[in-house]
Amino acid sequence: MLNLTPEEKRVILFLVVISFCGLTLNNLAKINYRIKKLFCPQARLTRIDLNKVSLEELIRSRCLPVKTSQRIIAYRLQHGNFSSLELLKEVKGVGEKRYDKLKEIFFVE
Amino acid sequence: MKRLLASSAVFYCLGIVLVSLTRVNFWLILGLGIIIFSAACLSFRNNRVFVVSVFLLVLILGALNLKNSYIQQKYHICNLLPYNDNSVYSLSGLVGSQPVTENERTVFIFLPQEIQLNNLKWLCCGKVLVKMDFRQDLSYAQRLTLTGVLTRPFRFSYGARSYRDYLSGQGIYLLMRIRNRLQIIQQPGGGGSKLIIFSLWLRAKLEQIIRRYLSDLPAAILSAMVLGQRRSIPWLVNNQMIKSGTVHILVVSGFNVGIVAFIVNLLLKIIRIRPKVRIILTVACLLIYCLITGASNPVIRATVMGIVFLLARILKREADIYNCLACAALFILGLNPGQLFDIGFQLSFVSVLAIACLYPKIKSFLRLENLKTKVLRFICEGCLVSLCAWIGTMGIIAYNFRIISPITVLANILIVPLATLITLCGFSLVLCGSFCPFLGGVFSTTTAMLITLLLNINAAVIKLPGAYFYL
Repeated sequence: MLNLTPEEKRVILFLVVISFCGLTLNNLAKINYRIKKLFCPQARLTRIDLNKVSLEELIRSRCLPVKTSQRIIAYRLQHGNFSSLELLKEVKGVGEKRYDKLKEIFFVE
Repeated sequence: MKRLLASSAVFYCLGIVLVSLTRVNFWLILGLGIIIFSAACLSFRNNRVFVVSVFLLVLILGALNLKNSYIQQKYHICNLLPYNDNSVYSLSGLVGSQPVTENERTVFIFLPQEIQLNNLKWLCCGKVLVKMDFRQDLSYAQRLTLTGVLTRPFRFSYGARSYRDYLSGQGIYLLMRIRNRLQIIQQPGGGGSKLIIFSLWLRAKLEQIIRRYLSDLPAAILSAMVLGQRRSIPWLVNNQMIKSGTVHILVVSGFNVGIVAFIVNLLLKIIRIRPKVRIILTVACLLIYCLITGASNPVIRATVMGIVFLLARILKREADIYNCLACAALFILGLNPGQLFDIGFQLSFVSVLAIACLYPKIKSFLRLENLKTKVLRFICEGCLVSLCAWIGTMGIIAYNFRIISPITVLANILIVPLATLITLCGFSLVLCGSFCPFLGGVFSTTTAMLITLLLNINAAVIKLPGAYFYL
């Protein structure tokens, strides 16, 4: 027989536990769709909602100069919510290059 | 002297710092070194004078190494170009790094071997950072001819360290912007190290496995934690982790190297390989893992420390953490002394040093051994490790990133155990995905759940009042 050290035994137990955990989650997700939220990160965790972000949050995130942040919020107040990210290009200070970066940061629902 | 290597590393670093602050000539330092060497030879029987002379020699060695790294070869591409030059050059050479594509742009390091201006050709060496405004499928060691204007890196910040300094630390003094596909000609043949080509191939395969089982974001986070590939991590996630002081979990570190060593050792033990052979094979696997993860400073540090620990077992000697750390530092600084000024190098070594120095002292001061509840003791020890690392790195982070995150200690208590679990699950997923793909799905769900939990905790923690503030 193999002489397994306590650490090695823990590894085997760990693998068994995560397999059981995975199988249980898979099973629960099939029964109840909402369980899927547990293992599918929501968009708001990875991107900023362009229609909900406040000026303060935008400035604090440091992804844009203060002036451009103010223009984005002003644009939203003037024209209503952004229907697509492409509209960001209409804001003064957002060129093609900055848009390329911003589309990785913002999302529109 | 118990910690000869650790003391030598301190003197070596001191030599690098001193010479970077002054403008002393290389030959003058060499002359001084010869005088001290003579003094060491003459005082061979006087132990104290001899030891002092040796440490001074190590200091001079550090100084000389840095001075030497500033001097480029005669045929270095940097020496062949005038300072401000808008001429269009044609460079022939090899792709020196794995090209990275982000935002439809491709960036890689190019190793030119020949430079051409009109009909004049020169042989050359060095590194050029190539930035292409489009996506192009290229691979490491591919032979190319590039045509374009060569520029010097800009000094974007006049603070402690600029972009130019950062690039020069990597031996890059020139940039080339490629705007059009016509500026690239792919040539037949290639070169490069077979070991690096194998490591890159293996990395691509492992990334494929991760992407097969996980959705975009969990896959990006796991690739960073297990393979050191951070390019796909969304800006917001990275930014939130910087704010909470937990961005270190996205970097491959000593913990990952320890896991690799443990897994390899376990697998070899199962197939009943002898202990000494097992250690040698583990060392080989650690070297390959170091190359897979891109051989960044924290990985090299952890790999060297791991190898020293393993070799100490073969030699039946007790490994000392300070000497291991010093060995890793001397290895990195011996190859490139400019790395002493790299923030990654500083953070990696200072955090380990702070934990090694402060942790036992604070632990005995607080008498944590007296805690009878095992869980409470475990939590307290976890807090203490985070606190020590935070105290050690706070100065460097505040100076370089202008941010102080008091939430770091709390965030680390919650996030580090989760990150540990994710890393373990990640390695299990990669191994199962490689050898028994039908089991991959079972591990992937747990991994994705843990990653989602980690992101939620991190997002919640930075919303607490006074979590972080910019200086």
